[in-house]
Amino acid sequence: MSSIAVNAITDANGGSTTSINSVTPNTSNLVGKNKIINGNMMIDQRNAGASVTPGEGIYTLDRWEAKQTTASKFSVQQSTSSPPVGFTNYARCTSLSAFSVGSSDQFGLRQIIEGLNHSDLNWGTSDAKTITISFWVRSSLTGTFGCALYNYAGNRSYPFTYAISSANTWEKKTVTVAGDTSGTWPATSTAGIVLFFSLGSGSGVSGTAGAWSGSFLASVTGATSVVATSGATFDFTGVQLEAGSVATEFEHTQYTTQLQLCQRYYFRTGATAGYATLAMGYLNTNTVCNIVFQFPVAMRASPSGSFTGCRIRYQGGNGTISATTGVSANTTSCEFKLNTSSIPTGYPVALQTNGNASNHVAFSAEL
Amino acid sequence: MYKLSPPEEGTTFSVIRVTDNVAIPFDPANTDYQEYLEWIAAGNTPEAAE
Repeated sequence: MSSIAVNAITDANGGSTTSINSVTPNTSNLVGKNKIINGNMMIDQRNAGASVTPGEGIYTLDRWEAKQTTASKFSVQQSTSSPPVGFTNYARCTSLSAFSVGSSDQFGLRQIIEGLNHSDLNWGTSDAKTITISFWVRSSLTGTFGCALYNYAGNRSYPFTYAISSANTWEKKTVTVAGDTSGTWPATSTAGIVLFFSLGSGSGVSGTAGAWSGSFLASVTGATSVVATSGATFDFTGVQLEAGSVATEFEHTQYTTQLQLCQRYYFRTGATAGYATLAMGYLNTNTVCNIVFQFPVAMRASPSGSFTGCRIRYQGGNGTISATTGVSANTTSCEFKLNTSSIPTGYPVALQTNGNASNHVAFSAEL
Repeated sequence: MYKLSPPEEGTTFSVIRVTDNVAIPFDPANTDYQEYLEWIAAGNTPEAAE
């Protein structure tokens, strides 16, 4: 057995660092460098690749929330057809009409980063770190498009642009942003940095690119509006937000790791067309079941819970569920209370899917 | 519209959002609960528990 014990490894040409397999180790290419979760769009617990027309504030692919001031102007779908090299999935946004945005309108997808996950950036202090955002984008339109970083309070914003020069062609974009030394950027389990991809924003919520502002700005003045062209498409994937002024290779984590990162915010039981037992429980009365769930990962907060189309199984029969009556929850488990048809007491009960792949239970602790 | 959950041992721990039958725990970090508190602050009153 041999070992190496040195204080530094430098390159042979007099530089201060060396490289390993052509990569120079630094603070921005460590595991966990990407502050964006599901940046490669692989996880879609809610819709499993189906196209949806999301409502305001509704999550689409995991961690990607739709923002819109008028309903039904765009759809969102996890797609797999001709992604950029190195990726298998992307988010496709499709304009559903030719909508002329008003002054205060905003349309797009955003990801809210939990404060705990960007606390090392020291935003809101004199030690604020520079970040670099990189992503792949493709659109049926060309022109100058708008994005923005902002805090959840909406009183610090940094709009920026990127150009799409060739229609229907994947292009990689990189933007470096000096960290904000002002404003409030929580370093707790609450909403922190927000990254917004605009599909169309009005003049009242658009501003000058490349500068921090003390007001809410969702995009850049004059940016291309995707929702203004019926049928226009906007695809993106490989989204990474990392410390430093260089865009490093996208951090491809194991699928399971990515899923677990998403499950901190949303957990949905698996789908089956059969009768899968989702959880066990007991009868509180002969018409109230208490079902006990252990979450696969600790959730950000005690989650809200809902069920769709399940049944209660007991020894000798099945019960129907008429309503959810309550939940006692913490971040790792909960007891879900359901009103049911009359069930004989004295036996444990199981919450089961009811012969339909859409049957599920979901828990949400989104930001 | 919301409906309070039945109390357990004298204490209510959650509320039901009637529009989509979502059970919301009384956790200040839960954003659904934050929306419920805003709804209450706006002068609304939840339905009583059954």
